[in-house]
Amino acid sequence: MTTQTKIVPIPLWRVRLKLFWKSLRSSWALFAENPVGLIGLGMIIFFGLFALAHPILMNTVWEPRVYHPTMGYDMEIAFHPSQPSARHLLGTDPLGRDVLSQLMYSTRYEFVLGILSAVVTVVIATTIGAVSAYYGGIVDTLLMRFVDLVIMVPFLPILIVMSSLIKIGMLELALVIGVLSGFGSTAIVVKSQALLVKVKPFIEAARIAGGGDFHIIFKHMLPNLLPIALLYMMFVVTGAIFSEAVLSFFGLTTIEMSWGLMINITQTQGYLMRFDTWFLLIPASLAITLLCAAFYLVGRALDEVVNPRLRRR
Amino acid sequence: MVENVLEVKDLTMHYTTRKGPVFAVDDVNFHVARGESVGLVGESGCGKTSIAISLLKLLPDNADIKKGQILLNGTDLIPLAEAEVRKYRWRRISMVFQAAMNAMNPVYTVEEQILEAMQQHLPDMSDAEMDEKVDALFRLVGLDPSFKDQYPHQYSGGMRQRAVIAMALSCDPDIILADEPTTALDVIVQDALLKRIRKIQGELNMAMIYISHDIAVIAEVSDRVGVMYAGRMAEMASTEAIFHYPIHPYTMGLMSAFPSIVGEKTALVTLPGEPPDLLNPPPGCRFNPRCPYATDICKEETPPFKDHENGHFAACWHPGGEK
Amino acid sequence: MWKFLAKRLLQMAITLLLFQAATYFLIDAQPGDIADIMTMDPNIPPTERQRLRIELGLDRPPAERFLIYIRNFYTGNLGVSFQEYPKPVIQIIKERLPRTLVLFLSASLVSFWAGFVTGKILAWRRGSFIEYASTITGVTLYTVFTPWFALMMIWLFAIKLGWLPAGKFLDPVKWIGAPVTSNMIFIRMILTATAALILMFLGFWLSNKVPRKQRFFVRLASFLLPVVAVVLYWRLSGMGPYAWDIATHLILPVLTVTLIAYGGTMLLMRTSMLETLREDYIMTARAKGLPDNVVRDKHAARNALLPVWTGLVFSIGGSISGGIITETIFSWPGIGLALLNAALVADIPLAMGAFTIIGVMTLASHLIADIGYAFIDPRIRYH
Repeated sequence: MTTQTKIVPIPLWRVRLKLFWKSLRSSWALFAENPVGLIGLGMIIFFGLFALAHPILMNTVWEPRVYHPTMGYDMEIAFHPSQPSARHLLGTDPLGRDVLSQLMYSTRYEFVLGILSAVVTVVIATTIGAVSAYYGGIVDTLLMRFVDLVIMVPFLPILIVMSSLIKIGMLELALVIGVLSGFGSTAIVVKSQALLVKVKPFIEAARIAGGGDFHIIFKHMLPNLLPIALLYMMFVVTGAIFSEAVLSFFGLTTIEMSWGLMINITQTQGYLMRFDTWFLLIPASLAITLLCAAFYLVGRALDEVVNPRLRRR
Repeated sequence: MVENVLEVKDLTMHYTTRKGPVFAVDDVNFHVARGESVGLVGESGCGKTSIAISLLKLLPDNADIKKGQILLNGTDLIPLAEAEVRKYRWRRISMVFQAAMNAMNPVYTVEEQILEAMQQHLPDMSDAEMDEKVDALFRLVGLDPSFKDQYPHQYSGGMRQRAVIAMALSCDPDIILADEPTTALDVIVQDALLKRIRKIQGELNMAMIYISHDIAVIAEVSDRVGVMYAGRMAEMASTEAIFHYPIHPYTMGLMSAFPSIVGEKTALVTLPGEPPDLLNPPPGCRFNPRCPYATDICKEETPPFKDHENGHFAACWHPGGEK
Repeated sequence: MWKFLAKRLLQMAITLLLFQAATYFLIDAQPGDIADIMTMDPNIPPTERQRLRIELGLDRPPAERFLIYIRNFYTGNLGVSFQEYPKPVIQIIKERLPRTLVLFLSASLVSFWAGFVTGKILAWRRGSFIEYASTITGVTLYTVFTPWFALMMIWLFAIKLGWLPAGKFLDPVKWIGAPVTSNMIFIRMILTATAALILMFLGFWLSNKVPRKQRFFVRLASFLLPVVAVVLYWRLSGMGPYAWDIATHLILPVLTVTLIAYGGTMLLMRTSMLETLREDYIMTARAKGLPDNVVRDKHAARNALLPVWTGLVFSIGGSISGGIITETIFSWPGIGLALLNAALVADIPLAMGAFTIIGVMTLASHLIADIGYAFIDPRIRYH
């Protein structure tokens, strides 16, 4: 006894979308299990809103003449830096500018920097990892030797040296960090994952079906490499924000306003170790720490999604 | 009189999960006499491995033995503290694990790992005596003793399994639990290994519990067979009785499902349905949803595991399919 | 084994050469050169500049100049520093290298060992409060903004509590009219400390051969005796106060770098242990009736160590960067601070020299870590 079933054709893109949505939901469920990841995500969202709030405030409540992060100056207060008050919630810096405004303004650049570096890293690392794993042989050896060379170079010293040669602004910094990270440990991790993917049956199937090398690498291997690349992206963002802060603190960048620069100004003007000017040091340092920590925590929580063996029962 | 090395009475063990308790082992009763080989057979998830780790009290954090007795040479292991139980582990009851790929620590040589157990349980042995013993063990399982100072990853799959068996025998235990030891190997190696195991068991007059889902293997190595279903013991009898005169409908189904290479071709009879979810097992006899002979009493009351005749135990309201 | 070592050394040499080439040409690519800097005064005629160039060999092709540079480098001539003209770069480096090495080595070793032990213990005992507390501590130490952390340490220990000095290598007041140089004292401190440590290790190694009852006393003796010997030595030589001065200045920077590195190692070790504990051989070890601490240390931790060790290789760069930041905040006169100051005033020879030495340090650490890994993972040795 058989029943007639009517087969209704569903367009392929619909099916793909549905599957994607489903896997996204289950990944989210796994991610949300871990309070650590949620805290990190929450902090990132907070900082995002923090950055977005700035232009709103500048256009409504805050007078640009007084509150502009780099060019503002409050003439009504006699001595700068001044203590936190109703007018300036976090006080003013030695050059008369509102600290809170500076803090908020810099946030967007931190995000931009972080994401730019991360994207560059992921693009480079996945390409190298995939190509190296796929072709093997001399291509692999050459690329890995190159990666060894890059890993050998410690981050900060090279940035320090470069700063003495060229002017380092936001874009240059993001590029350098992205390239160095991309050719570094991320590439190795992606490559080991790619080696695992390479031997999976569906790759063999794609090859038999006549897929060319590039097609296999980009259409089949890459989607399986993205989760782990995304994971490492988080750590790259952490590193980028940290490196920028340190370099600006040392005064080696030409970035006009960032958290690191705020601390640098505090130091050069001699207000660093004083307890009464805490608002010059602590908010910026705290911001750097928290945003770095936020991305790191999200990375760790993603680790549990990507790497099933870590999950608790 | 042949005394029992192992007696298990009313053993009950649950896992605690987020969704509630999983009734992995329920009221299991059996015994193993000295020198006897008992096979435990059943589908995946029926509780065979759970019994094995319960016997060694190697339970994970979320598992508890709820009631019962495990009498090893007369001593009940359940009320004993961990420190006490350790003295029995490996010395009196040892285990051969499945998929020996990872059963040995990759950073120590095979010899070191065998010696480790001996040093723990046989402190009075001299170093020379232990060395000799390791060599003897290797020869016993069919390995060349010159390989003993190599690392596990340098061994082949079959060699590794033999080494694990040698390790389990190292302290002369009274009973060995073998949990699917040949499942991961190809049939030729499997055959050789089974013959070897049988021979060793005979030579040492050692008791053994052999766990497998493969009936053919069980038939080759066991004197008696216990059939497990959904955490409970369905039937237990001599190998001959189980194969030729099964009482429990589940066993009957298993036997019909096994094709014979001799005789005429008959249609394969399979059991419909799937084993129950142990989070929410069916009331009464757990086989009732799939049993062709089930009646009302099967759905209400759990049948007792009793002796139907000459040591042939079964838990069924309608043994042999009778009404 | 030796083949592996030889191969790695060769690779290291090639990498080092490539590294130096890259740095050299990077610096060379910048417009302008020494002759320009030395003859910045517009009153000096261009012919003078050209003559200077020829004298300094700057008119020769880049490849040739590079080879001259390499030859000079390996015969110990690293050029002359602009800032402290005419002090040769090699001398500055020789002075400062031990200080950085002490900072780097002590922090690396202590933080690795502490992270290993705590990570191992924390993974074994999974209680939710301890887990959260340790995760938070680890993450905080790992992500805290290093300069801020260093400043907080100074603020706490030097300013608020007044226990330790706030920075620098020594207190100049105490050294007025001293018969010895600070470097000499420092080198001698390193030697005595190393000797003491070697004796301690020997003692511990011996204690494992001794029957259990006497083990504790042997260990106690092997810890106390070298310490007493060192203290006596410094007391009797009359130079104790100088050594003590340097020692007190050493504590805070080392503590800072150690704490920062500790966070990462501890977190990684914990994660690694949790993964390792799920392996089958752990079950086997427990089934063998081995005591808990043996299963944890001999079986689990020993295997959990492997990815942590690899992680160490990746984190060496980070440790060195952290060291540079610490040197800056504490004004600790090491290679890192030298590099930074050189970069700020474009003292190219010193910057190059310091950078290369840092590169060599990193390379050597990688090599040692790689070789070490081969020792602890037999699958690498025989495959």
